Amino acid sequence: MSAGAKKRIMREYGECLADTPPGMKINFDEQNMTKWEVLLDGPDQSYYAGGHFKLEINFPNEYPFKPPVVAFKTKIYHPNVSNDDKGSMCLGLLRPDEWKPPNKVVAVLRLIQTLLIEPNIDDAIEPSIANEYKENRKEFEKSAKDWVKRYAK
Amino acid sequence: MAHQESEERAEEWAVLQAIYPELEIDPGNPFAAHMELMVKPSTPLPVTFEQVVERLAYLPPLHLHITLPVGYPEAPPSVTVSTVPSWLPPDVTAKLANQALLLWEEYGGGQLFTYISHLQEAAETTFGLSELTLPSDLKPDLLAYSIRTKRELFDKETFECEVCLEPKKGSVCYRMQRCNHVFCIACLQDYYNNCIKEGDVNNVKCMSVDCGQSAHGSSKKKDRLISPKELLQIPISIDNVDRYAKIKRKKKIEADPTIIYCPRSWCQGAMRTKKYPKITNVSEMDESDSEADEPVAEVAESQDVAAFEKRRVGITGMDRLAVCEDCNLAFCQICLASWHGDFVRCEPRDSAQLTEEDQASLNFIMKNCSPCPTCSVPCQKSHGCNHMTCFQCKSHFCYLCAAWLRPENPYEHFNNPKNKGCYQRLMDMAEGDMAQGDIQFGGRRGAEQIADFWEQEAMRIQMEINELDS
Repeated sequence: MSAGAKKRIMREYGECLADTPPGMKINFDEQNMTKWEVLLDGPDQSYYAGGHFKLEINFPNEYPFKPPVVAFKTKIYHPNVSNDDKGSMCLGLLRPDEWKPPNKVVAVLRLIQTLLIEPNIDDAIEPSIANEYKENRKEFEKSAKDWVKRYAK
Repeated sequence: MAHQESEERAEEWAVLQAIYPELEIDPGNPFAAHMELMVKPSTPLPVTFEQVVERLAYLPPLHLHITLPVGYPEAPPSVTVSTVPSWLPPDVTAKLANQALLLWEEYGGGQLFTYISHLQEAAETTFGLSELTLPSDLKPDLLAYSIRTKRELFDKETFECEVCLEPKKGSVCYRMQRCNHVFCIACLQDYYNNCIKEGDVNNVKCMSVDCGQSAHGSSKKKDRLISPKELLQIPISIDNVDRYAKIKRKKKIEADPTIIYCPRSWCQGAMRTKKYPKITNVSEMDESDSEADEPVAEVAESQDVAAFEKRRVGITGMDRLAVCEDCNLAFCQICLASWHGDFVRCEPRDSAQLTEEDQASLNFIMKNCSPCPTCSVPCQKSHGCNHMTCFQCKSHFCYLCAAWLRPENPYEHFNNPKNKGCYQRLMDMAEGDMAQGDIQFGGRRGAEQIADFWEQEAMRIQMEINELDS
């Protein structure tokens, strides 16, 4: 990774520290600054209220020319998060063809928060969950809350 | 008396210099002073030099020379206005100078600061001129002045580069020609060199998030690629710009089914065509009309249908003649032999007479990648999920089985138990084929190869067992 990329990650961390979006905590390891651990509270107005989710953000060597890679380390029942041990996300800003170098991690974190409140059904990575969200909201709510209780407390 | 009125003149200078520190008193005459006023029209002024119109953002400054005569403020101040070179018409300079007199006639002395501020305001509208026609010998000076001034002022400004997030002086920044976004040169070079190195020429566009964001979501982008000429100005090295222009052209040619390639195995150049002129000098290429996300299909569609038919069996005559743009070989598009004249009947030939190297490279491609179901471009996954979007034609497809996927819902494929091979395997091998330093999976063709291997292995084991038995 280039010195410029490291400098930019440091700067972004500085900005995040100064102005952390509410409901978030960032663990930063100066020895390994390309991997951030973020603790995210389920937003109050979402089905994930009361849950605490661990996310991992990995910066590729080409950052900021390539997008960071986001993964939910805590299992979550959500149409835009892959339902496996990886918890991958691949939409909007995070897609390599959508990402622009001036985009910042904080925008990614805000996007994730918004998605917890309102999933993006049209770009779902888990269509069955997306479908349930659309057709059978009660059932979706039940599973989402159940998973929060089971995995995210 | 003389003493008193000279004091009044000195006072006038003191007032003016307090407001306009750039006012300089002539060394030879304590009652004469001069200053320069910047002429920056609020919109660039169209200037015609022998039928060629140039829009100038800056014009050489207005020289203002004021002399306060004996008897001032009872006697009028003497004012001259001029430009070097003399681009402002004499009637305008005379009018401007006269305004100082009018002001003096109406209000008496002590009004020179109002006059100067009036001149400054008038400079923004180029003193009421909406256009100008000048002799062409002034053109080099005026153009150079405008460009130099623009550069000097830009260099002094400070910008925050949105990529490295650091404040940078204008002298190490570059302003994009089309959209005026500013980035530091180091970041621009890093980004474009990286794109060009990876062959990702469709990302050679302005980095700003405001560019290419369509109003209705993210599906259709309309931003433009940067022209080779502009890349050189940033500056990107000529070698990289050359590579950029070549890849861009190659992509267009490859997407065009009417192009036939030279049958000489050591050459394989494309046939000559007016549609894709050969690149001669990248520094002259300032076209930026190519759409970044122009779908390949559109290019093919725009071709003349008749031209496409030409390759079909049965066409005769001169229509079959093609000339290689690299080695100038004249050959027949149908039989791929060197040109046999227009009366010879010929049959289409299988072009698969490859050299060993080509065969080896073709074998590797066949074994280690999935082809795009639409344009057959071979692909290998470096990381991410198995839902692929073709780099070339934007088709959605499955990396595991190379099936075409519906763009509205590409993920359905991985969630349908009927698709046994791919069900629930969206994120399989997300680290990429080469994650363990070795090829783990080679796409659909690789999967076939593995199946082949195990079949042969099973056969071998069976034969061993048979041998043991006998």
